[in-house]
Formats: sequence, structure tokens, C-alpha cells
Amino acid sequence: MSVLYFIIQQTMYFAIPLLIVAIGAMYSERSGVINIALEGIMVMGAFVGIFFINIFQDSISGQLLLILAVLIAGAVGGIFSLLHAFASVNMKADQTISGTALNMFAPAFAIYVARMIQGSQQIPFTDTFYIAKVPVLGSIPVIGPMFFQNCYITTFIGIGIFLVAAFAIKKTRFGLRLRACGEHPGAADSVGVNVAGIRYAGVIISGVLAGIGGLVFVVPTSTNFNATVAGYGFLAIAVLIFGQWRSGKILMAAFFFGIMKTLASAYSAIPILKSLPIPNEIYKTIPYVATLIVLIFSSKNSQAPRAEGIPYDKGSR
Amino acid sequence: MNSKRKSIFKGEGFVNFSSSILAIICGLLFGFIILLASNPSQAVNGFMMIIKGGFTDGMKGVGDVLYYATPIIMTGLSVGFAFKTGLFNIGASGQFTAGAFAAVYVGIKWTFLPASIHWLVALLAAILVGALVGSIPGILKAFFNVNEVISAIMMNYIGMYIVNLLVRNYIYDPLKNQSVAVAKSAILPKAGLDKIFVGASLNIGIFIAVLCVILIYVILNKTTFGYELKACGLNPHASKYAGINEKRNIVLSMVISGALAGLGGALLYLAGSGKYLQVLDIIAPEGFSGISVALLGLSNPIGILFSGLFIGHITVGGYNMQLFDFVSEAIDIIIAAIVYCGALSLLFKTMIHKIQMKRAKKAEAKAVGTDKGKEA
Amino acid sequence: MEYVIEMNHITKQFGDFKANDDITLQVKKGEVHALLGENGAGKSTLMSVLFGLYQPEEGEIKINGKTVKINNPNDANDLGIGMVHQHFKLVHNFTVLESIVLGRETVKMGVLKMEDARKKVMELSEKYKFKIDPDAYISDITVGMQQRVEILKMLYCDNDILIFDEPTAVLTPQEIHELMKVMKQLVAEGKSIIFITHKLNEIKEVADRCSVLRKGKYIGTINVADTTKEQMSEMMVGRKVNLNVEKTEMNPGDAVLEVKNLTIKSKASGKEAVKNVSFKVRKGEILCVAGIDGNGQSELVYGITGLMPLDSGQVILNGKDITKESIRQKCIDGMAHIPEDRHKDGLVLDYTLQENLVLQTYYTDRFQKHGFLKFDAIREYAKELIKKFDIRSSHGETSSARGMSGGNQQKAIIARELDRNPEIVIAVQPVRGLDVGAIEYIHKQLVAQRDAGKAVLLVSLELDEVMNLSDRIVVMYEGEIVADLNPKEITTEELGLYMAGAKRSVKNEQ
Repeated sequence: MSVLYFIIQQTMYFAIPLLIVAIGAMYSERSGVINIALEGIMVMGAFVGIFFINIFQDSISGQLLLILAVLIAGAVGGIFSLLHAFASVNMKADQTISGTALNMFAPAFAIYVARMIQGSQQIPFTDTFYIAKVPVLGSIPVIGPMFFQNCYITTFIGIGIFLVAAFAIKKTRFGLRLRACGEHPGAADSVGVNVAGIRYAGVIISGVLAGIGGLVFVVPTSTNFNATVAGYGFLAIAVLIFGQWRSGKILMAAFFFGIMKTLASAYSAIPILKSLPIPNEIYKTIPYVATLIVLIFSSKNSQAPRAEGIPYDKGSR
Repeated sequence: MNSKRKSIFKGEGFVNFSSSILAIICGLLFGFIILLASNPSQAVNGFMMIIKGGFTDGMKGVGDVLYYATPIIMTGLSVGFAFKTGLFNIGASGQFTAGAFAAVYVGIKWTFLPASIHWLVALLAAILVGALVGSIPGILKAFFNVNEVISAIMMNYIGMYIVNLLVRNYIYDPLKNQSVAVAKSAILPKAGLDKIFVGASLNIGIFIAVLCVILIYVILNKTTFGYELKACGLNPHASKYAGINEKRNIVLSMVISGALAGLGGALLYLAGSGKYLQVLDIIAPEGFSGISVALLGLSNPIGILFSGLFIGHITVGGYNMQLFDFVSEAIDIIIAAIVYCGALSLLFKTMIHKIQMKRAKKAEAKAVGTDKGKEA
Repeated sequence: MEYVIEMNHITKQFGDFKANDDITLQVKKGEVHALLGENGAGKSTLMSVLFGLYQPEEGEIKINGKTVKINNPNDANDLGIGMVHQHFKLVHNFTVLESIVLGRETVKMGVLKMEDARKKVMELSEKYKFKIDPDAYISDITVGMQQRVEILKMLYCDNDILIFDEPTAVLTPQEIHELMKVMKQLVAEGKSIIFITHKLNEIKEVADRCSVLRKGKYIGTINVADTTKEQMSEMMVGRKVNLNVEKTEMNPGDAVLEVKNLTIKSKASGKEAVKNVSFKVRKGEILCVAGIDGNGQSELVYGITGLMPLDSGQVILNGKDITKESIRQKCIDGMAHIPEDRHKDGLVLDYTLQENLVLQTYYTDRFQKHGFLKFDAIREYAKELIKKFDIRSSHGETSSARGMSGGNQQKAIIARELDRNPEIVIAVQPVRGLDVGAIEYIHKQLVAQRDAGKAVLLVSLELDEVMNLSDRIVVMYEGEIVADLNPKEITTEELGLYMAGAKRSVKNEQ
């Protein structure tokens, strides 16, 4: 039983950031902008967030520090994503290329700044956020040890973000307009919806959530930040495609990948897997191989937004 | 005579070329601002180092530029060639690493080969393995409609981990956590280049890269195969309508693209410059540099040759800049900024068009002024 | 004067091209005002100016006597102007209700409140007998229904100046009749309608006055009751036209193309887009496939030409089973295809004209040797075709296809396809969006093919074209062939009944 609890707890560490970033990606893509820059935005969010923790961990500590860091990471992600929004919306640039540029920029910037300031590129931090057991809830049998022990407050923030985001895209005016811009911007424009504004909003939301996701990924799984989030931004896009751009399916996809990643990183703590004669590297490839396999089966009938990746041009009606 | 000169300056090629130059200027300016922000007193010195790049150190510097440019010209060609077919090969890194491993493996283990062809066989092995790795996203795209960007990124990680595993199992130097040295006979010949560029690690790799540039140029511009590939890239629907087998072309394009990247890996790791395959969880940066090179060179093989040399040039500048206590990652920041500005090419193109329009109007006004007399 | 709309001396330029050159349009309250002109005459541009999508360089707009500035569709909407666009502005995976409220949502704290909207939509639907299902998805309803959704969008926000941009192009004669009734009901309620069209019959039926545009210029405004169709047609084209194609008696030979029991499933929906379709096209015959857009005609052609996989059935060309042949082999065997969408399928727009002219033949020995293209041979051939088919462009054979006009792009495709001397020509809406000159030319070319003893399969949505050109008509409805008709023996109205599925004369042997 304790192995099962362990797997679930680990899965949460990996699935929650994926969920946050993928749901952000959903907002960008369903507004019509492909955001492949999520990887870079995650790096930026995590970099500034961890740097903040590194500086203030002696003066502030615990959950307040983490929540402040989350807010900062989100703000940084949102600001950084403006570059992508500007290129994609105003400049009608190739969105893949613009995204790639941000992906190249972020780690270079993080390493440069870290080395210029503190000499080495790794930024260490002390984990003062770990919650061994949530009061009351943690004592509930079965559910307590699954979700309310050995956890982080970010898990609950992530679930909250998911619930709000899933509701908003389906049930609000903003969500309706956003979906229209991703499928048929001409239709939205003809009834006076500001397509550029909505697309900016979509990209910024994805940036804020990716920034948060970057931090949320690093905090439980590491003790220092080394200018990388291990391809998590790209995995989030795979989650989005596997989830067919719909929030409910994205939730399931995120947890599927979370389990895959758990197998990859924590197999040595799972007795059955540890006893198998499979080298470490093979385990590490699991999430990526799983992505390929899943994409093979989910790409044929794609529900991708129809106007995704196409700059909106008023002239072409 | 006049009209001919005009056509050069008005042509699409010229506009594209100037927008690349503008992107470079903007990127460099941004880099300068970064330097200025981090260390104002040394910023100018550091920046001059970047600009001077390979010309700081005499022939050695020039040789170094050519040495650094060689692998990224190859990955640039890889990315650019795929671009022409409408594919974004962001997986050049994985193909590069896989090719490098194949070459190094042959270079270490296949010592039974005659010395004269050992390095050639190692290059061939790299081409084959690179092509094989490249074919996977191609096949997935052609037959399962899988977005090649995502699958190629996944292949980068898978390739990296598997190469790590293979290096550890077969050609490992545990003390240094890297591959052991390749046999002398597998190292690329210098062909006298070491005499000209004393101190640089230059070898015939640069000639092989130039040969590839010419080959790809001919394929794209002179052959029916190139005609088909470009048609697929520009309009896959019309290509299918015209009976072009677009699935086959997607796979072939990725195979060739992968082969180019794989060969690039071999050219770097068989250079005999003290480069070893290290067992680290890091994706080969040469693949991403290839994206910059291809974008800057507008996916044109000749353009890629020059943009590869340019990136090599400022990379050398980046190393020299460390003299002034700057971190060489500044170069990566500049390159990213250049790529971003390149994506904004529309902005530059409209700017250039506006300038052209102004000039044309002036010329027109002049012409009208002189013609008036005649017409009357 | 009691004009609701006055557009005075409007000029709108795109670069050097004047799409609207000093155009004046005055619409009275409570009238149906037709705006007549050929494709490219500037009707859509003028309406986009009125709707706030474009800003004119010169001219003024008055609504109800007051000068206004319309910067975007919101301004137009505030002034009570609504528009049914030629290409519907509907999101395929929205419900009818969502489509109608988009942009005018009722919300509480940003959260959608749909109940009031639903009530109002249902009332309107009842008033005009639209029989609309508010919860149906747009992609699941017919084109006619989609148009009603567009009309409801205007009525939902109480517009009283309504623009209909070529609304009848996609409808059956019966649906057109229903639409006319709705239009009359709307003006009777005091609304004003601008009706954009190039169909004279419809103007005669419903419009009070008519303004004519030609090549971006204003020609004049007439009272419909006092003007003949011939006069209007002359105003529109600038010369006398005879769209009735001169044709000799048909002299059919053996079957060239035979389609047997073709069934094709749509990839997107998984539904059968083409159901067990069989027919023959004979030498010296133009067989026309008629039907409302979206009844499986596109899929049928894609299936025959090999662009879409078949689920079952056979395609036979001159007695040879070519069902399993590649697209290229079909082309070599003598199949020519003038595709529905010339930009998507017919041309590589960023290739030059000469490169496009060899798109089907670049691999033949005439144009390549050992895999290398023979550029001289390609250029010579292109020059030859340009002369023969009168293809006009700015830089001759080296012009980029993108920069050519629609008519010349289509001529290039026709040159490429017909010059191969095919056995069968499959032409899908070959004159869509072209001006009268190009239409005449292309129709003549098709008839010439037929007279030369070739087979022609023509897919058309335009009833006039169907009735004029065809020697035989098959009607498709919901993927099936429901009639096999002789154009001389039926009326347009009858054809409409078949197209709407209200009548069928062919039983599908299943």
C-alpha cells in the first residue's frame, strides 16, 4: 500500500505542473496562436521564482515564500510571453520560429544572469515548503495519504487553476469569444470581437501559467535550478494534443504523463521495477517514448482549432 | 542598364537579404544592451570582441571560425533543407548526437579497417544513423499525421539518453565520464590546413560541408526531386493533386535532413580537437544553432554557408569576450535575439518596401519632370 | 429625401488598384435595393466599407441623414446595420445559439446567461418560420439553415438595415423562393435591404431599385419595374452578352469514364459522404453533376481522381479499371482535373507560371533528363501555352502565380489540363468567382472538348451553368444520385426539387 501512496504522491509532483502548463497552452492555441515557447517560458518563470526564493529564504519562509514566488513566476511568464504575442499577433510572424527563439533565449539568459551574479549557473534553494501531512484532511483514511501527505501547496493551487480555467473556457463570455477566435477569427471579427486582443489574452494566460508551471515543477523535484525544465514545456504540448484541446481530456492526459514520468524518475523506489535488469537511461526515455506512441494514436483525427497558427488578416475574408 | 541595377535592389532576394542583415543588427544591439546592463565599464570592450570575432587572433582565429562553423553549417543545411519541404526539423540535435556516436563508435572499434578509409567509413556510419533517426519523425508525420516538431523533440531526448547508455556500455572512459579517444586513422585528414591556420583545429571537414552546400543547392534548384520537394513544402495539396507522392517526399526529406545532421556530428567529433561524447543529460546545442543558421540563411544553401560562418565568427568572439569577465552565453542570447528578429521579418520587409517606395516616387517625380518637355 | 443610407463618392484603394472609384449608393427606407455587378466589380468592397471592415480614402456615409464614421463592425451594428456574408461567418463547432449570441452576449460577472437569448431566438425563429434548433451544431445543419442562423444574427440585435451578400448562390430554387418571402416580410416591417447579386431574375422578383457597378465604377441606379433584364445585363457587363452557349447536337459515343457503386466515408465525420454512386460519361458528352453544395460532389470528384480514398466501388477509364492506380497514373491514362479550389489544389502559388504549367508533366522526358529539369524546354512550352490560351500576366512565364488574376490563374490550369489531350476532363465549378469574359472563354473550351469527342464531367452549383452546358444531368442529394435527367425535358424548378431531396427518380439498387 505504501508503494501505491508513494507513486500517487510522486505522480502529483509531475502531473500538476504538466496540467497547469497544458491548460495554459489550451488557452493560447484555442485563441489561435501556437505557443511552442512554453519550455522557455517555464525556464524563465522557474529561474526568477527560484532566484527569489534563493534570496529571501532566510527572511521569509514556508508557504508565504512559495506563494510569493508563484506569483512572481507567473508575472515573469506573462511578461516574457508578450514577446511571442507581439510576434504572432502584430507581426504575423511564423509562430514556431518565434517560439523557438524564446526557447533558445530563456536558458541562455538564465545561465548568463546566474553566472554574472553568483558565478555558477546552478541556483540552490532550501525546501521549506514541504507538507508532511495536511491537518485533518491528511488523517482521512486512503484519501489522506494519497493526496494530503507528502505534498506541496502548489498541488492545490494547480487543481484550483485547472477548475477555474476549465469553467471559464466553457461558460464565460471571454471563453466563448476566445474559442471563436481560434476556430474562425473572421466570424469573431464580423461581430466586433477584438481578435488581436483576445489572442494577446490567450498567449498571456499561457505565459502566466507556464511561468507558474516552471516553478511548480522545480520545487518538489529538485534542490537547485539549472536553467532547464527537462522538456516539460514540450511534454505539455503533447498533453494538449493527446487531450484533444479539451480540458477534461487534458486532465487525464496530464496524469497519464505524470505516471510515465514517475516511472522514469522514481523506479528505483519501486521494488518490482528496481529488480528488473533495465538500465537507468531506458527508464528515463519512458515519458518521451510514451509521447510518441500516444501521438501516433491521437494525431489522425485531430480536433485542433482550425485557425491555429494562422495569423489573422482582415483583408482575406 | 539602369533597369538591371534596379532589379537587383528590388528583387525578393535583396529584400530578404536586407531583412536578415537588419535582424543581425538588432540582435547585436540587444546583446550590447545586455552587456551594458551587466557590466557597463567593460561593455564596449566585450562587444568589440564579439564583432571582431575570428579576426582577433590572426590565422588561428580564422581557422577557429571555420572549425566552429563546420558542424553548424551541417545542422543548418539539415534544418534548411527540411524547411524547403515544409517541415520544421527541430530534431537536428538528436540526429547530430546519434551520428556523432556512430562515427565515434566506428572510429574506436573498427580498427580492422585500412587506415585510408577508416574515417570515411566512420562518416558513412554517421550519415546512415543520422538518416535513420531523422526518418522516424518523417514516417510518423507522413503516415500518422504526427506533428514533426513534437516528435522530433521527443527524439532529441530519446536519442540523448540512448547515446548516453551506449557510450557507457561500449566506449566509456569512467574516469572522465566520457567516450574514449578514437583511433588516429579515424580522425579527419588535415590536408595541409594545419600549416595555413596554425593552432586551429581545422581539417577537411569544412570542405565536406561546402561540398554538401553545393550538393543541396543542386538538388533543390536543378532537379525534378527538388521541384517536387519544394512543391510539397509550398503547397502539399497541389502536390498531391499533381500526383507527387508527398508521403514519400516527407520521409525522404527527413532522411536527408537527418543524414546531414548526422554527418555534422561526425565532422565535429572526428576533428581530433579533443572533443569527446560526454555522458550528460544535455541536448546537443549544435542542433538548435542549426535552426538559427537556417533561419538567418533563409533556408538557402548558399545563405546557410554564410550565416554558418557568421555564427561561427561571433561564437569565437564569445570565447574571447571572457577576457573581459563576460559569460560566453551572451552569444546564445544574441543568437536567440537574432532568430526572434528574423521572425519579425515582416516588420523589416515593410520597412524596406517603404524605403523603396519613397525612392521610386522620387525617381518617378524626377523622370516626370524631365519627360514633360518631350511629351509636350 | 428619406434615404436610410447614403454612400456618396466612395473611393477605396488597395495599393494602385481602385476597388471603388467614386461610387454613390442611396437606399430608401423600406425598399429592397439590389446592388448588381460582376465578380470583381467592387460590390463586396463597398459593403465592407459600409460595414466598417475597410476605411475609404474618399467619400462620406450618411445614415438616416446624419454623416457617420464607421470604424469597425461594432459601429455598423450600433447604427443598425447587419450583414449576411457570402461566406458565412459561423464557427463550425458552436451551437446555433452560441453563434447568434457571439459578440452580443448577456452575462453576469462575465458568466454567460443564455436563457433570455434562447427565448428571443425562438420567438424570432417562429415569427419567420425558420424552424431552427438552437442546440444543433453548425457543422451538422444544412447550408440553408446556416443562412437562417446568419439572418437571425442580424435580427437578434435589432438591425434594420440588412445587407445580403450573394445569398442565393448556395440555395435551391425553393429555398431561394423562401428567402425572397422573408425579405419581403422584412421590408414590410419597415426594414431596408441591400441585396447583392449578379442574378437578374432574382432582382426582377424582389428588388425595387437597382444600382449597377462595373470595374469599380458606378454606372447608374434604375427602377427595376421599368427596366428589362437585357438592359440591366448590358449595364453590368458594358456590352451585349449571350451567356447561352452555342452548342451543336450531342453525338455521344462509348463510355469513357464509368463509376460503379462508389462509396466514400468522410474523414472528419465518419459519415458516408458518397453512397453507392454509379454513372457513365460518354465520348462527346458533357455530363453535369448538379446539387447543393455539400451533398457529396466534392468527395465524389476527390474519390474519382484519387485524392481521397474510396471505401468501395470501381472507377473505369476506357475499359481499364483504374480504381487502384496512383493519381499520377490516372493522369497519364488521360484524366484531367480542373479542381474546385484553384488556390488549394490547382496551383503552387509561390511557383512561377512556367513551373505551374508543367506541374503534371515535369517528370516526362520532354522536361527532364536524368532527374535534371530542362529549363529551356519548360520555358518554351510555357510561352507556347501562354500564347495558345491567352494567359495574361505581368512578367509572362516568370510571373509568380500568386500575383495573377483569378481568371488568368484558371486559364493557366485549363491550359495545363487540356493541352495534355486528355480522354476525360473533370471540371469542378470552373468559373467560380470569374468575370463574364473568362466565363464565356472557359465554357467555350469545355464545349470544344466535347465537340472533339472527349468526355466532360462538370460539377456545378449554378443552375444556369447546369442548364446551359450539360447534355445530361445527374443530381446528387446527401451523397446519392437521385435523378438522371435530360436538360431539355426539365425546368429549373423541377431540378430544384431533386436538389432539395423532395423528389427522386433513380432508385438506388442496394
